[in-house]
Amino acid sequence: MARTPLLARCAAAALAIATLCGPAHAQANDPLATLSPEKKAFLSDPVMLTHFGLTAEKLQVALAGRSAADVDAYATALMAVVEDSKFKAGRDPSEIALNPQARGWNAGTTVRPKLFDKLKRDDGPFSLKRYQFQKGGIPTFADAPVAIRKEDLVAGKVEVAFVGVPLDFSSGWRDAKHAPMALRGMDGLVGADADGGIDPGLILSIADYGDLTPDYMAPDRGLDHIRAMIAEMASVGTIPFIVGGDHTVMFPDVAAMVDTYGAGKVALVQFDAHADADLNDAHMISDTQTLTRLMEQNLLRGSDVTLVGLRGRGADVATQKRLTDSGVRILSTAAVTERGWQAVTNDILSGLKGGPENIFISFDMSVLDPGDAPASGRPVPGGISMREAIPMVRQLCAQTKVVGFDLLDAAPILDPTYVSRMSANYILHACLSGIAMRKTGMSVKTAKR
Amino acid sequence: MPSINAITGWSMAAAAAATSVLAGDAFDTPNPPPPIPQEDIMGKPKPVELPADVAAKLTGIAPEKVALIKEGQTGRYVEKDVLFDRIRTLPAAELVTYIDAIAALHEQVEYKEGRDAKTIPLDTRSAWFNAWKAKRPLVMDPKRDPGPMDLGRYIGGRRGGFATFAGAPVAMTPEDLRAGKVDVAIVGAPLDMGSGWRNAIDGPRAMRMTGGAGGNDMYSMINPSSVLEIVDYGDIAIDQNSTERSVAHVREMVREIAQTGAIPIVIGGDHSLEYPNVAAAADVHGKGNVGVVHFDSHYDVGRNGVHWITHGSPVYRVLHEGHVRPQDYVQVGLRARGPDLETFGWMRNKGMKYHTMVEVEKWGWEKVMERALKEARTNTKKLWISFDVDVLDPAFMPGTGTPVPGGLTMREAQPIMRRLCAENDIAGIDIVEVAPYLDTSYKTALNSNYLLNACLAGIAMRKKGLPPGYFNPVSVEHGQDAYYGTKKKS
Repeated sequence: MARTPLLARCAAAALAIATLCGPAHAQANDPLATLSPEKKAFLSDPVMLTHFGLTAEKLQVALAGRSAADVDAYATALMAVVEDSKFKAGRDPSEIALNPQARGWNAGTTVRPKLFDKLKRDDGPFSLKRYQFQKGGIPTFADAPVAIRKEDLVAGKVEVAFVGVPLDFSSGWRDAKHAPMALRGMDGLVGADADGGIDPGLILSIADYGDLTPDYMAPDRGLDHIRAMIAEMASVGTIPFIVGGDHTVMFPDVAAMVDTYGAGKVALVQFDAHADADLNDAHMISDTQTLTRLMEQNLLRGSDVTLVGLRGRGADVATQKRLTDSGVRILSTAAVTERGWQAVTNDILSGLKGGPENIFISFDMSVLDPGDAPASGRPVPGGISMREAIPMVRQLCAQTKVVGFDLLDAAPILDPTYVSRMSANYILHACLSGIAMRKTGMSVKTAKR
Repeated sequence: MPSINAITGWSMAAAAAATSVLAGDAFDTPNPPPPIPQEDIMGKPKPVELPADVAAKLTGIAPEKVALIKEGQTGRYVEKDVLFDRIRTLPAAELVTYIDAIAALHEQVEYKEGRDAKTIPLDTRSAWFNAWKAKRPLVMDPKRDPGPMDLGRYIGGRRGGFATFAGAPVAMTPEDLRAGKVDVAIVGAPLDMGSGWRNAIDGPRAMRMTGGAGGNDMYSMINPSSVLEIVDYGDIAIDQNSTERSVAHVREMVREIAQTGAIPIVIGGDHSLEYPNVAAAADVHGKGNVGVVHFDSHYDVGRNGVHWITHGSPVYRVLHEGHVRPQDYVQVGLRARGPDLETFGWMRNKGMKYHTMVEVEKWGWEKVMERALKEARTNTKKLWISFDVDVLDPAFMPGTGTPVPGGLTMREAQPIMRRLCAENDIAGIDIVEVAPYLDTSYKTALNSNYLLNACLAGIAMRKKGLPPGYFNPVSVEHGQDAYYGTKKKS
């Protein structure tokens, strides 16, 4: 297999490297010929070469004219990189130490009991509006009333609660921590949806559940808390609308759904230019390996995952193959471009049939074109437009039982205009509309008007 | 000390290839560092005097729970007077419940061995655990002589289209620095873990891509690029998910530069870098032999947090591990929300020399600058300058993660940088917290580069033996008369 591409290229263009191709010369000029079998095997392994940005052809160029000793040194050096990249006890710390002397270790994640409220109030969401018809004022998601505790969600029979998780570890540009604040302060999440024909704010009981506390110095710490808090929201029948935060947040979000509904009972639809399925990271969690960890911990089966909008450098061929082999359905941005949003939406829906009933939608801002959403930590040109994303999200939320939704990796500082924030709010609103349509039994208008 | 570099060059290819591609031993940097002494822990709760009637109501309560109240531990959960009111008014049964709830809350909030993880585990199964800092073997590139690589194509100009710090040639290894007799190696360290707005990851890139660091300094009429051998030493590898892992490697790399005799100039990256930078300088020059001037709107002596290092705590970690004596720490430009009075007191008792904007308000910049310069010149053999760009007013430096209004102007910052670098034996400098995406203009990068240029000019002035406070007599005035009382020279 390794030689096939080289030979193919040689056949097509027998130019300067022609000497490498002839069988007679190949043996005589093969710079690997003098290597030990182990080193020769190492430098002949196409997967290994890929790690070094090499192909068999590039290797031939690099080694051309080098002495046998130098070729040996070359192989030795690359093998040392591989060897030293592995963890070695005694040389490499296996963990990062924290300071147990610190006061108030859990203060940021300890919920204040009602008993210690300064003022007494009845349970239930409460408004921060002074006027009956006020716009603006103190910003909340969807201008919704505020809920602080589970009891507020229960008393208000809250169907959808927004919650911010300002984790700020995007592997691209950071600033996702400011997304919850920025989206609260932006229009677009209130009012009737002309296309859906419904005002979700009227139909649904919506609340703003405030923010949850992440650890800004380590993505790992605090995820258990976020997971528990979101599971608590779901446990009382509320659909959490989580505003991240980088894509690491998908881990506690989906885990919380599984905690609530059971393993094998939740399917994920991930809108994302990236697969977030990296392997071999030294950290237990980060935004590039969220899907990997969810599957590794058996919180999701491959067949319960639909990836929508993959493109660009989002996942190499090997990663895509690994995912599809495990049952993941990948519907790329190219599919939306070629076949249209409706056909792809139909594919998503038909793929979900027969699988778990409970659907979690994770919407990474990178799935959108940077023209619609420059404020994405990991933007990728050539994305899905808002004119495609809005009806896709609305239909999914209208036609499936969405139990949770997250909007991740919006990094507002990357966009000095309002556009990204408004786009993000319109995506959230599209799903709210869908949920409201489902509640009222409205049919989805798919016909062209 | 472990071997400092991996694969050296073709001349040693076979021998070197057998050694590690990692810079050194990560255990150089303690993980965790030694425990924090009790006297360094600020903000401890103050004991509370129980009024007699309150104490009387508490007679039936478990003594350890009453002790929590007496120790002042409960102030975090309920104000003292509210608590006393509750104790006075609640029926006995409810009082027990109430106090139990406080004790339970306290139990939850404070660290508990066995329940709370005191480490963040890493995935040691990963085949590429150290890949982030594994060095590229030199044998992968065509053979070349050691020394700074000029990227230019033409006789005129040096940059050749490639963005490097100060338009300097590029060096990759300590051998390059030694072979080129390099005076100054500028290196990026794009650590992006600041607590405000992030984007310090782009600091090195922005400063390379914006002019101002190279070229003639009119104040001295010296072009540091002509007087000094300056190189761009590339970027230091960073693990963007762990400051601890990153700073251990930064320390190895800064040490590697300083061991060659070159002055390391580290372009951040967030201010956590001050710790590995100064520690590396102390590794090379000796503990207690390095003083620090810390320009910053923040005091950065944060301590006893859950994390051992953040961009708010590098100064404490430097002091805690004994790399620098507190009296050799000079801080300039403090004006943020911290420190509180207790911490100011701690800093005074330690002998630290802080200069706030309050002092500048009262005495004027000239006097404060002279005082800081004098302090920097005394005591230590070598000086590290740690320059957080948020010491400047946001008007000059909007592109920084934790901006604070009311800061220095460029015309205040440039002279002190030039003079510090001219009047002291510089161990190294860092310019940190440049976050260009927070500035839609060029000015943060340009101003940062001009500050770097002022320091480079100062280092060049010192190399040429020019006196402190030197201005070039030709650039300082036209000299057609004796307007300032100076004699006209022909």
